[in-house]
Amino acid sequence: MRFAYYPGCSARSTCAELNEATHRVAAGLGLELVQLESATCTGARELRAIDPVGFYTLNVRILGLAEREGLPLMTICNTCTLNVLDAHAAFVDDAELAASINDRLAKEGLGYTGRTRISHFLWVLYEDIGEARLRSLVRRPLTGLTVAAFYGCHITRPPQRYKFVDSRNNVALERLAEILGCRPIDYSGRTECCGFHTAAYDERIAIKLTGQHIQSAKVNGAKTMITPCPLCHTVLDSFQREIEQDMGQKLDMPVLHLPQLVGLALGLSPEELRIDRHMVQFDPRAAIL
Amino acid sequence: MSDLLAPGEARQLGQNERYDTVAARNSRFAAGEMITVRVRRSDAASIAEFRVPYRKWMRVLDALNWIAENQATDLAYRWFCGSKMCGTCAVRMNGREVLACWEAVEPDMTVEPLRNLPVIRDLVVDRAPFERKVAELEPWLERPVAYAGFPEPLTHKQMKNASKALDCIGCMCCYSACPVIGLGDLTDFAGPAPLVQLGQTALDPRNDAAKVSRSLKLTGIFNCVSCYKCEEVCPASIPIVSQVIEPLKARAVALMPEMAKHSNALRSVVAERGYVDPSALVLRVRGLKALSNLPRVLRLLIRGKINPIKTFLQRRTAASDAARQYLSRGDRP
Repeated sequence: MRFAYYPGCSARSTCAELNEATHRVAAGLGLELVQLESATCTGARELRAIDPVGFYTLNVRILGLAEREGLPLMTICNTCTLNVLDAHAAFVDDAELAASINDRLAKEGLGYTGRTRISHFLWVLYEDIGEARLRSLVRRPLTGLTVAAFYGCHITRPPQRYKFVDSRNNVALERLAEILGCRPIDYSGRTECCGFHTAAYDERIAIKLTGQHIQSAKVNGAKTMITPCPLCHTVLDSFQREIEQDMGQKLDMPVLHLPQLVGLALGLSPEELRIDRHMVQFDPRAAIL
Repeated sequence: MSDLLAPGEARQLGQNERYDTVAARNSRFAAGEMITVRVRRSDAASIAEFRVPYRKWMRVLDALNWIAENQATDLAYRWFCGSKMCGTCAVRMNGREVLACWEAVEPDMTVEPLRNLPVIRDLVVDRAPFERKVAELEPWLERPVAYAGFPEPLTHKQMKNASKALDCIGCMCCYSACPVIGLGDLTDFAGPAPLVQLGQTALDPRNDAAKVSRSLKLTGIFNCVSCYKCEEVCPASIPIVSQVIEPLKARAVALMPEMAKHSNALRSVVAERGYVDPSALVLRVRGLKALSNLPRVLRLLIRGKINPIKTFLQRRTAASDAARQYLSRGDRP
């Protein structure tokens, strides 16, 4: 199975370990990832509000690059996923917009016809690998590992669009954790917001919001949190020291990227998955029975 | 046999009754079956529990009415139209903001007052903070030029976003669901409900730009974290983030670029590099203050979370060329 691979900005900088782990895990799952070399940022949340023309062009361009390769697009960041989904929807709905973007893209010999399938890594596991095959690939069941799934916002909301379910009803991560041999725990932060999108200018919102979620995961017995989004990871992990200072208590909650959890079950080592690159240290060998 | 889910189906894992009809959700009950309703009451430390006999087509409001008529005549709750119009009956049911008049009962449900507003009694909240904020935002139309007379040339495309905001029934579900409002005075964020009220006129092209600027300055709108919690609970299905808050942000950027320093910085970083280098973004937004917490910078450096070489030695790439071209103002249709 081949995918046009779009890691996004975070997995190329702050969360470079996610990019490395994804490549390793993809190889283990039999996925071939084709990097889109000239793909740009999808514009985070800001560009879509302040410069819709630029936002749609950059995102449709990414979809066009994948279409040129004749491949579905695989993302590993929630916000990137929603951005390309939004751009695709706008492109399909608004013929005038579509034509104007294609006019601009034509200058570099690119275009889009609306055919690229967009899939986050989490969805690829269910739609392209399948539960049975995934089970058969598990070399080291993660027995004894209690995990708190942190979905983030942008692959579960906005509601009623893109087939997202009521976000509280999400089970994809928990079900996956069970397939890999972990025990998912229930807690109040599952589908809450990490506050990343205002953090570049004011971290206090992210710190206050996320503290409650980590604490709830801890109280309910999680040994680690897992997230399909590097932006959530940045707040959960890289801000955790600041969160602890704000709450006046030690949390010490490790946070794994989703592909890292899959990788551990496939038998990859924590070093190969670059778990050592996280701010909160985690020794899977001690946590897994 | 393959167990692969079809494209798009993984997003639907966990789908059950949401977006189904009251009828479909009610089909789980037999007539006369008892349902458990727990109500958070303001005069009792614990939650009051009631057993209510199920009636066909029963809504949360019907259960509250039954309790008020039969078991707790002093139960305080609000409702008026009973048909999703007046916006007075919103409560939290099993952790989710709903209109009592429009939500099917659950076999076991906890009903609580909305969050983020003072409780007057039981399920009745004080809407005054919302109303004060809305009044402050001057949510009306002021024409910069004299009214030219009827009919005014106004297309539905021009009114696309404002017309969505006009669907608001002022029920406060979004205000209760907003995590940033939940943080209280930490920010000056006005919250989704007041912004929707403002959007009704501020997104109307006939409105005076100076007045819209004055209002937007009071909204703290860039504190919205884009979590879509508000959209998720909106009984009127208003796309609050994408068709109200984001267009209002766009308006703020156009009228007062200084209000959107962060968004403009992100745009410039992408235009220069093709992607976001988080360190470059933070430095641009906060300046050298970003380095004031030196131990933290060092910690991030040790783990390789930040890479000054990459941040300061910007390379030209195919992506940066593309971003520069498509984000430049000159190349616009």
